[in-house]
Amino acid sequence: MGKLLTLQARVIGSLVLRETRASFGTSQFGYLWAIVTPAASVAVLVTIFTLIGRQPPFGQSLALFFATGILTLEFFNKLSNTLMASFDANKALLTYPLIQETDAIFARVILISATYLLVFVLFYGGLVLLGLSSMPTFPEVVIQAFAATALLGFGFGTVNAVIVSLWDSWLHIERVLTRPLFFLSGIFYIPSNLPPEAIAILEWNPVLHLVEWFREGFYPNYESTVLSKTYPLGLAVGLILFGLAGERLYRKKRV
Amino acid sequence: MIELVNVSKSYTLKGVRKQILDGLSYRFPKDRNVAIMGRNGAGKSTLMRIIAGTEQPDSGRVYRSVKVSWPLGFAGGFNGSMTGLENVRFVSRIYGQDTERVIDSVQAFAELGASLNLPIKTYSSGMKARLAFGLSMAIDFDCYLIDEITAVGDKNFKLKSQQVFTDKLGHSQIIMISHSASAIKTYCDCGLFLRRDGIYFYDDIDHLIADYNRDLT
Repeated sequence: MGKLLTLQARVIGSLVLRETRASFGTSQFGYLWAIVTPAASVAVLVTIFTLIGRQPPFGQSLALFFATGILTLEFFNKLSNTLMASFDANKALLTYPLIQETDAIFARVILISATYLLVFVLFYGGLVLLGLSSMPTFPEVVIQAFAATALLGFGFGTVNAVIVSLWDSWLHIERVLTRPLFFLSGIFYIPSNLPPEAIAILEWNPVLHLVEWFREGFYPNYESTVLSKTYPLGLAVGLILFGLAGERLYRKKRV
Repeated sequence: MIELVNVSKSYTLKGVRKQILDGLSYRFPKDRNVAIMGRNGAGKSTLMRIIAGTEQPDSGRVYRSVKVSWPLGFAGGFNGSMTGLENVRFVSRIYGQDTERVIDSVQAFAELGASLNLPIKTYSSGMKARLAFGLSMAIDFDCYLIDEITAVGDKNFKLKSQQVFTDKLGHSQIIMISHSASAIKTYCDCGLFLRRDGIYFYDDIDHLIADYNRDLT
């Protein structure tokens, strides 16, 4: 058992290093882009909204309010998209009997989560340094929200990967279906202030709950009437189980 | 020891079902080098992937109690955008080898020089094959699975690989697919013949080659 665990750790560790090289190019500078790009795209949006003269929907900082929304969504999307392409991208790896396709999935989850951890620290750290935000009031809540986002992205991406392996049009359909998340996840507004009819629909979106979760961690008095922590967590666990079971069930069919 | 118990494998492509293996049970003899022969499409490579574990049988079990290599063929497992060196590092890491030792050994064997620092996609097929072969020989396996690889490279490389191979044979076993009677005769002492009507074991290699040649004509 111990031997198997070391083997598993060794394989996943090697895959993480390989994925780093493969997805961020061979230069050290390549990895820098992976951190700069999400941070820069949020910065651009924030600048535009500031120039238009929008008031922050909550608190003093427009930047912080958007960041809690957009960065969360970006993290979730990145995980889900990368995992979805995982089976196809890693066919060559299956030459080596030691590597299972699930190892490639785990490696991608670890790599992207570690990358976004860095993005989060740099971006929020930058906001604090620029005086656009104060330190999160409940750091432990922020960490929980981060972990929940990682789990949901892991589950959602794995299920998508299995569906894509059976029906490749899903790749495009999924893109179309998840595009509205940008508007449905409470990025520009406070979900609790919406009319009850809107909430009744929007609260089905798990990403919205993750955004609210982050905000409760950052602000001292952000009281969300919408947030349910068990919903995104339960969904994440369910999707992970469903995705991994699907991977095992259809493994022979895929080859 | 490698043993197949009641292994079946079929493919269905565009509604056409092809049964490759049907209830094969076979225990590979210990300390003997086994040839796998058969016509194109007989299922030799599929059998080898099942032995290696890169492919799952539809039913049945495969038991391995020794360290078996991946099927050594024409450089399948390399990532084209990564350099030769990075690919070598990756493989030696997953097999828990001393990375530096493997690199030295590959460098000495494959003679790629500075090309080792270039992405694999810039390699010629001969260079790729040299790298793949050198890499697999640098890692110690109890059993090497070889899929037609001895046919690559120029004369110098062939001589070199023969040498390494003969060294390996001292303490490792090989299972080899080849259409070349001379390669089979050099390295193997028994074999499996995959025919349309079933799979036959030959204890005597000359007998196998004779039957294989007769089947072709």
